[in-house]
Amino acid sequence: MNDTAAFPPRIELRCGPVTAVDLALFAAASGDHNPLHLDSEVARAAGFDRPVVHGMLTCAYAARLFTQQFGAGCVRRLRTRFSGVALLGDTLHLSAELTKVESGVAHYTLNVRTTAAAAGAEQRDVATGQAQVARTIGA
Amino acid sequence: MIDRSRVGFTTEPTTVAIDAWRVKLFCQAIGETDPVYWDARAAGCAVCPVPPTFLKAVEGEHYSSAALMKLLNVPLRGVLHAEQAFEILAPVLVGDAVEVQRSVADIHDKKDGAYTFIVIDTQYRVRGKPVATSRQTILARNALAAG
Repeated sequence: MNDTAAFPPRIELRCGPVTAVDLALFAAASGDHNPLHLDSEVARAAGFDRPVVHGMLTCAYAARLFTQQFGAGCVRRLRTRFSGVALLGDTLHLSAELTKVESGVAHYTLNVRTTAAAAGAEQRDVATGQAQVARTIGA
Repeated sequence: MIDRSRVGFTTEPTTVAIDAWRVKLFCQAIGETDPVYWDARAAGCAVCPVPPTFLKAVEGEHYSSAALMKLLNVPLRGVLHAEQAFEILAPVLVGDAVEVQRSVADIHDKKDGAYTFIVIDTQYRVRGKPVATSRQTILARNALAAG
């Protein structure tokens, strides 16, 4: 099989807008109960207009970007560096670009940008990263 | 003051059971609708692999990052998640008992001490065999911590 043909050069996923329910569910599911993600006053004290989307929710969306394309169990490595924060109400735009395929494992660079709900809001960088994925479950 | 003497601190390993209901809740929270993660039969599969980043919830059941920040005397106020990396060596499945162990790998400053970065490594094992590792980097914005 042609290694590269099995992996598209670019994949995308849009998530959100992230609601207060999403953040509350994620707090419960992840066990991260930091009020920065749930309470507007705590978010303001930390320097943000609205509650901050859990970095791990962004990570989970990043993993979904790959699993929706290549199936459960495809992710071998995933690294996410947060360069900004997404806030309650934001829509996240995730994309990944193929850099190489080695021994059936595809290497992608990851980019996450966010837009606020406000009309005409500009996209902001939230995270960058890298992933290595394969088409089979297991290592 | 952040307790830098804790670099090298390693938790006593404990075992966390991977529960289908918790995985389903996690999937609901992240917008994942594929039942392969919590109901293998419905998905026509033999096993349910957990979503990759569910490992972070597993480690929280063992020894949460919030508890580690308390140990290091880092106020949660002013703390942000700076970086997260996973290496998955073998699939973790619903029904597995995952042994988790975390350690404080490094604490270093940037911007003349305005920012402190805390690096935490986690090992995940099933039946004694490594299945994954992760590295979390936490940013403490020290001006906010004091406020």
